[in-house]
This record gives sequence, structure tokens and C-alpha cells, in this order.
Amino acid sequence: MTGLRLRGVRKSFGVVEVIKGVDLDIASEEFIVFVGPSGCGKSTLLRMIAGLEEISDGELFIGDDKMNEVAPSKRGIAMVFQTYALYPHMTVRENMGFALRFAGTPKDEIARQVAEAARILELGDLLDRRPKELSGGQRQRVAIGRAIVRHPQVFLFDEPLSNLDAELRVHMRIELARLHRELNATIIYVTHDQVEAMTLADRIVVLRDGVVEQVGAPLELYDDPDNLFVAGFIGSPKMNFLKGEMEKGAVRLIEHGDIRVPVSVAAAPGTAVTVGIRPESFKADGSAALDLTVELVEHLGGETLAYARHGHGQLITVATDNDRGLASGDGFSARFNPEALLLFAADGARIR
Amino acid sequence: MLCGGERFDLARTGLARTERLNGWMFIMPALVLLGVFMIYPILWSLWMSFQVGRGMNLSFGGFANILRLTQDPVFQRALSNTFIFLIVQVPIMLVLALIFATMLNDSKLWGRSLFRTAIFLPCVTSLVAYSVLFRSLFLADGFVNDFLLGLHLISEPIPWLADPFWAKIVIIMAITWRWTGYNMIFYLAAMQNIDRSIYESAKIDGVPTWARFWYLTVPMLKPVILFTSVISTIGTLQLFDEVNNIPPNAGGPSDATLTLSLYIYNLSFRFMPSFGYAATVSYVIVILVGILSYFQFMVVRDKRR
Ligand SMILES: Nc1ncnc2c1ncn2[C@@H]1O[C@H](COP(=O)(O)OP(=O)(O)O)[C@@H](O)[C@H]1O
Ligand SMILES: [Mg+2]
Repeated sequence: MTGLRLRGVRKSFGVVEVIKGVDLDIASEEFIVFVGPSGCGKSTLLRMIAGLEEISDGELFIGDDKMNEVAPSKRGIAMVFQTYALYPHMTVRENMGFALRFAGTPKDEIARQVAEAARILELGDLLDRRPKELSGGQRQRVAIGRAIVRHPQVFLFDEPLSNLDAELRVHMRIELARLHRELNATIIYVTHDQVEAMTLADRIVVLRDGVVEQVGAPLELYDDPDNLFVAGFIGSPKMNFLKGEMEKGAVRLIEHGDIRVPVSVAAAPGTAVTVGIRPESFKADGSAALDLTVELVEHLGGETLAYARHGHGQLITVATDNDRGLASGDGFSARFNPEALLLFAADGARIR
Repeated sequence: MLCGGERFDLARTGLARTERLNGWMFIMPALVLLGVFMIYPILWSLWMSFQVGRGMNLSFGGFANILRLTQDPVFQRALSNTFIFLIVQVPIMLVLALIFATMLNDSKLWGRSLFRTAIFLPCVTSLVAYSVLFRSLFLADGFVNDFLLGLHLISEPIPWLADPFWAKIVIIMAITWRWTGYNMIFYLAAMQNIDRSIYESAKIDGVPTWARFWYLTVPMLKPVILFTSVISTIGTLQLFDEVNNIPPNAGGPSDATLTLSLYIYNLSFRFMPSFGYAATVSYVIVILVGILSYFQFMVVRDKRR
């Protein structure tokens, strides 16, 4: 199978640079997810790989071949669009078999391929329906089926689940993970939803404003983010960021009564830092504590989220171990282990 | 269930009756105008089509006019000319419009709004001005002949407006020039409603350009193609302006461009007026429009329904 290499890839629309130099290696059979806020250039990058947008600068290799100038149909890829892009006047069967007719595939071979894709995607009963007679999830599966019959080396997905309701999204996520195992293909998947990224990806590429912020396995990004942006983007509910100042062997939390929490990072005393702590890092047996007053409590059943602050400081999210006793107005001590803190310099880079 | 019951009750109250009355009052002016200026003339002309006689001197003739149709060589000439225009011109124009629309829908094309305007403009130009221009272009020593002679494509001038065959060609070119852009606008509007990723997907999947046009664009535009073919058919069956204005003598040479509408006009206003027979010929057009539209709907009808 086939991996991809991107070297200094750039894209400008007129004078606006949208992709600002992306270097990336994607291994064969890897499930890689591009994630980032809306408008950061995920679709553009994917469309450049597909050949739907020209590459302004840099090099794209699929397998060993440079693909910058190669026509989309010759790149060994298939793409699934957010809008599904089904042919409205064709049945499911015709939708899936249509492109094969132009690849010189014999009729009975097309029928076999379509039947195989229908089996994998459980579309057998729907083959003679038109797209408008299908539900959103079924249309999505047809779009995937249309990609599968071509046996591409690389599958490209652009926010394929965005138009589905929450429940169906979870279901399709599981389906996609299964499909990846079954197809043994390289998958590049674009989403703005970090939960989708975390659950599906072998590796995640976090993009912001056309720049790769970090590449890594989901838990690597969660445990060990390179910068403030990645730390804030990955994880739900979002990480809390507190103001701090370095002292010798400790960080002083300015907005929390100047409490000192011991940390072991190399930063000069007096440096202003941002201190990150995840809501779920608060543990009852922690050795340090923030003194907070509860403002709002959200009972999610399995866990309880408390939104609390110290005095007039900023709002802190605390995921308690299902402490159903908390009520708004209560004072409580949010305990945590100092090792759970992540420190970031003023420019957003992680201080390790 | 509940909702239906409520509505049923409401319909019986005085309030509902007042509202219904108000509704009728609002559409009354339009209804009266429609009745006076459309429905009455339609019924009147139907009655007229059974009248025989000249000028105001009319009497009921039963099927005499219909019999006259079958024995009238000029009518049959007009009918066959109209069909020739219809069969040759409408398909050429619609195919051209579709091709132009496809080309002008390409977002990479330079100056496409300029081209769109240029192709659309003919149908809003003054009819008489363009007819005069066409006539002068196609005179024996007109620009077209000069141009073709200059390029040595022809050795002697083509008798554009003097020869029955070439006169038809000129008329076909004129109406094609005038109405292609009009039809193109419908296609363009429909194309802009098609999700672009459908084409992108086909492109990635290796569907060649001609197949994207033939198997994707054309079927997806089917309802619009039906619509344009129906209105173009109706327009051509009523063809009058060009054949009346472009040839030096209307309908000429020797009735080669005489159409049904022009014949109706001649019967009513040019010859000794024969209003009854003219009305009969108009009903021929009505019936043709009905039949042809029905067949067009049958042809493009969704086979699964
Ligand atoms: N064809 C285009 N012309 C001009 N600007 C574009 C075009 N396509 C995308 N952009 C711009 O590029 C940026 C990235 O777009 P996109 O890749 O679609 O973002 P994402 O998929 O991450 O939401 C946006 O600011 C968008 O406005
Ligand atoms: Mg996008």
C-alpha cells in the first residue's frame, strides 16, 4: 500500500495564503485525521492532495511519485464529500458502478464490485433506491461505497459525518473504524470535531491558520501538547488556563491567593507563564488545592462538572468524581497533583 | 385528527364565511380582467372558428372551415414551413444553449460574465432593429456575401433572401441568434444549483468530461430542458416577427417562409378579412401546442412513476 509525503506545501488564493508550508509524512495504512477550527485550511489541504486545488508551492508525493501535476483520477485516491455528492438521478447501484464504466471494467466485474461494497456497507436492500429515498446515514454509506469500488490506495474524507445527527455520528464513527481495519487502506480524514479525531485517528494533525501545530497519536496530544493551542483544542471539556509566575522550583498562581505549587521545569524565576490543568486532573487525593466557590453545577450522570472561581478570578471547570453533593454557592477545595500541571511560555510554547 | 376537526368547526362559523368572502373579493379584480381579456376572447374565437364569410358578413358554417383546411395549399405550405422551422431550429438552439451554458459555467473561464451578457443580449434588443440589420447583412451584396467572397469560401453570391432554401436558413439563423441566450440563462441558473462536489467527485473517479456532460449534467437538467423545449416549441409555432420583417416581402420568397401565424395575420388583415377561417387556423396552433407538449412530457417523464 501507499504512504504520502508533503514537503513545504503552500496554497494561496490570490494574495491570501491559506496553507503556509506543511511538511507531513503519512505512513501506509495509517488513519490520519486533520483537525482544527473552521477555516483553518483542512479542506484546502485535502483538496490539494486530491488534485482539486492546485498546489501553489511545495511537493506532494503519493507512494514514490510526485503528484503535483497529476490529474485527480490518476492519483489512486477516492474522496467522500461532506455533502455526499451522490448522483441524484441514479440508483444506489448506478451511483457505485458509474465511474467503473469509464475505467474499462467489464459489466459483470462492476456488478461484483458493487455487490461486494454493498455487503461491506450493508446496503444490499437499498441498491435500487435513489439518493432522495435514503436517510442521511444511508447516503453517507453509498458515498463511501462509491469510493470503495475503485479500490483506491488512499481514501480522503472531508467532514463526512457533519451532516448527521449525534447518535448516527457515533454509529458511523464505529463503522469507519471497522472499515479501516477491513480495507487496509490509508485514510486521510478531515474534521473540526476533536472527539472524532481522538476516537478515529492513528495520528492527529492539528492545524491552525494553515500551519501544522502538532502531529501525534491522540493520547500524545492529550498528555503532552506542544503548545497552548493544542492543549486547548484537544480534550473536552477544555483545559483550564491560569496565570502564573515562576519562582525557584515552583509556580505562583497569581489569581489564586498566590499559592505556590512545586513544579520541576527549567524556567527562570520571574517568568510569566500560563498554567494549564485539565478539568479531569482534579483528584480528591491531590497534594495541592485551589480554593474555589461553585457557580454552576452540571450533573451529567456519570460525572459532575462544577464551574467555579476563586474570588473574582476566572471560571475554572472541575470534573469531580461524581460529587452529587455540590451546589451552587458552596466553597470547596479542588485538589490536584502538581505533576498534572502543564506550563506554557508567553508565546504559547510548552515549557517542559 | 384534532386539527382536522377544528378546521371543520371553523368552516361552519360566520367568521370563516366572512374570510372566504374577503378572499374572493381580493382576487375578483384579477378574475374579472382575466375573464374579459382572456377567457372571453378564447371562447369567442372558438365560436368564430365555425363562422364562414368575408369581412363582417359572417354566418355559421359548421365544419366548413375544417374542410377548407384540408383543401387549402397555402395553409399546408404554412404548416409544413412551421414544422421545418420547429424540427430544425429548436434542437439546434437548445443544444447550443446547453453547450454555451456548460462553457460559461466554468469558474476558471476568463470574462465569463461578459460572454453571458453578450449571448443573452439579443433577446432584449429591438425586434425591428435586428430584423432590418439581418436583412441588410444578407442582401445579395450585403456583408455576409462580401465576407464569404473575400475569404474565397464561395465563388458567387448566395441569394440569401431570394432563394426559398436559403431564406429558411436565414430565418433559422436569426431566431437561433435571438433566443439561444435566453434558453442558456435557464440552463445556467439550473447548473448553479447543482452541488459542485458532484462534478469534483466524478472527476476524481475518472469520469471523462464528455460523460460528465452527458450522464450527469443533461439528466440533472432534465426538468429545465423539458421546460425550455416546451416554451421554444410554442414560440416557434407562433413564429411571426422574423418571417414578417426579415424577408423583403413578408413570408417570401414565394411563401417559403410563410408560417401559420403569418398566415393568420394575412387572412385577417392583409387579404379580404376572413376572421372565421383565421380563428380555425389559430386553433390548429393551439391543438399542435397541446399535442407536442404532451409528447415532450411523456418523453422525459420519470420512468419509475
Ligand atoms: N476557492 C477559494 N477562494 C478563496 N478563498 C478560499 C477558497 N477556498 C477556501 N478559501 C479560504 O481558505 C481558508 C480555508 O478554507 P478551508 O480549507 O475550507 O477551511 P476548513 O475546511 O478548515 O474549514 C478559508 O479562510 C477560506 O475562506
Ligand atoms: Mg472544510
